[in-house]
Amino acid sequence: MIAYLVNLATLIAIFGIAATSLNLLIGYAGIFSIAHAMFFGIGAYVAAQVALTFSADFLVAALAAAVAAAALSLCLALPALRVRGEYFVAASLGLQMMASTLFAEAHGFTGGVGGLVGIPPARILGFDVASPDAFLVLALACLALTLLAVRTLMRGSFGRSLMALRDSESAAEAFGKDVRALKTLAVVIGCFFVGIAGALFAFHMAFVNVESFTLEQSVVLMAMVIIGGAGTLTGPLVGVIALLSLPAALSFLPFIPSTQIGTVQQFIYGALMTLLMIFRPSGLVGLSRG
Amino acid sequence: MLTRRTVLAGMLASTAFPAALRAATEPYVLGTLFPMTGLLSELGSIYTAATALGLEHVAQDKRLSQPIVLKAQDSQSTPQGGAVGMSKLANVDRAPYVLVGLTGVAKAAEPIATRAKVVMVNGGGVGPDLAGLSPYFWNIIPLANQELPTAFSWMKRNEIRRVALIYLDDPLGNALRKGLQDGLPAIGAALVGEFSAAPSAQQFSAMIAKIRETKPDLVYVASYGTQQTQIFKQLRDNGITQPLMTYSVGGTPSVAALPESEGLLFTSQVADWDAKDPLTRRFVEGWRARHKDNPSTYAQNYYNAVLLYAQLIERLEKEGKPLNGDTLREGLATGTFDLVGGRARFSPSGAIDMPTQLNRVQNGKFEKVS
Repeated sequence: MIAYLVNLATLIAIFGIAATSLNLLIGYAGIFSIAHAMFFGIGAYVAAQVALTFSADFLVAALAAAVAAAALSLCLALPALRVRGEYFVAASLGLQMMASTLFAEAHGFTGGVGGLVGIPPARILGFDVASPDAFLVLALACLALTLLAVRTLMRGSFGRSLMALRDSESAAEAFGKDVRALKTLAVVIGCFFVGIAGALFAFHMAFVNVESFTLEQSVVLMAMVIIGGAGTLTGPLVGVIALLSLPAALSFLPFIPSTQIGTVQQFIYGALMTLLMIFRPSGLVGLSRG
Repeated sequence: MLTRRTVLAGMLASTAFPAALRAATEPYVLGTLFPMTGLLSELGSIYTAATALGLEHVAQDKRLSQPIVLKAQDSQSTPQGGAVGMSKLANVDRAPYVLVGLTGVAKAAEPIATRAKVVMVNGGGVGPDLAGLSPYFWNIIPLANQELPTAFSWMKRNEIRRVALIYLDDPLGNALRKGLQDGLPAIGAALVGEFSAAPSAQQFSAMIAKIRETKPDLVYVASYGTQQTQIFKQLRDNGITQPLMTYSVGGTPSVAALPESEGLLFTSQVADWDAKDPLTRRFVEGWRARHKDNPSTYAQNYYNAVLLYAQLIERLEKEGKPLNGDTLREGLATGTFDLVGGRARFSPSGAIDMPTQLNRVQNGKFEKVS
């Protein structure tokens, strides 16, 4: 049981980083990106390749993953950020679809649909962190650092500028804010952190393929942010815990017949999500803040 | 006379008794990690129904000292879902033997299963990259490249000289492509066109126009899921009248239900539903009674996977060995097993060595050709 909970907690920590990074875009900057799984995937693939070909040191792999995700987000964000609102959603949808195809076709880098297997266990400065307990500590440490970084950033002038942008882009521009620079920076920082989440994911799963970085994954990440409470520090984390723990908890219900477990779980899961959005539209944390 | 020693012995016995009783009455656990929701839930339903039938028949036989209980997890068709599901099966449900289906799910679940020494048995994925995935990973379905010799025999007899190929650009499609490239010259045939399809592609009109130009005697399709059925439909809609052939995925009910699949040829492990051997009769009659139709080869695989587990447990019970991943693995590596379709054994890479046959879709049903 402990091993199961450790595995679940590790995934919660990894997706906590990914959702927190997306919250930087959606919750603070008002940029509704549905291409976040793409950058999560870039981080995972880069970390996997670094581990397979160069070094299994997590710090090296995670840094490479974060820089690659941030750099690629810059290339892609600059033209896409010329548009706003629903047009950006459409642009990011295009990017996500293109990325899914590239992940499936770039055999040399991603292993194609078959993916990359045999990713070596993570190490840090020569110390083995492959055991589930040690890896959980590492993932939690990364999550804590991410939360701390986002909290610090959002309490400063950069964060206030982003929130001004979110509330009224035109007003922020009228007050002399460089809207495109702010948006670009928000995307780059968000993708830097999701790159780290991707690296953790690759080491934790020891296998990556395109099925983990599809449009559905982007939608799930967005749901985590919205259900938890966009624009709050703890909201995305609460959303991640809710979305990952609920299916796991449902699998313990004794009255669900084994042969129907998937259907019944999905039904209960969907119903709970719908009720949650009806009665707590601003998310779990959003409402509790009043 | 009640002595201190008697009291101590009694206390020890009373603490040991429940444990002994519990050990003697604990059922054997069978885990399943199937896609029960999402796009591939049709396959998950077949796998689950076959597993349930197998468990029912094993329970009727009463050849094991304890019953087998099913612990099911929905993989949601995703690697992440597979990892979470396998973690629960291995660490909470303590399943030493887990049935899996999809390639991506199996690969993601494999490190967790291997760490926990859980034997995984695949009856649905046929990508050759599943051979030798882990010492604890076994395939009870012949992998796609193992089916090709049967296809070649039929092609040779029917003087097929020109073969066009549509293949999904993944390990399965690429392995079948290589198998055709290597095997066709030996029967005096050749690949006259090789057309790669991206996993998300659903429109094939342009590709089919090129296929017509190659004037093939036969079109081989190496894809699966809704893409596969789209390819069959569009091939016929765009005037391809030549025979169509595929691998064991042709045995999926949604393929048979497609009018354009009429006459489709596909290879599979031996699946003669009219065979007289008791194992096949019991399986086929049980399936027909419950589902009012013939089973598919996937149903045969997962039914066989349950029979295999029961036979392994029976041997371990006779030998007085404990049931765990290592003893199951040892049994799989060394034994031969009576399964639906014939007697089978496994290669060192974990692939089942089983006879294969060629089938045809006829009036929405499958029938054996050779």
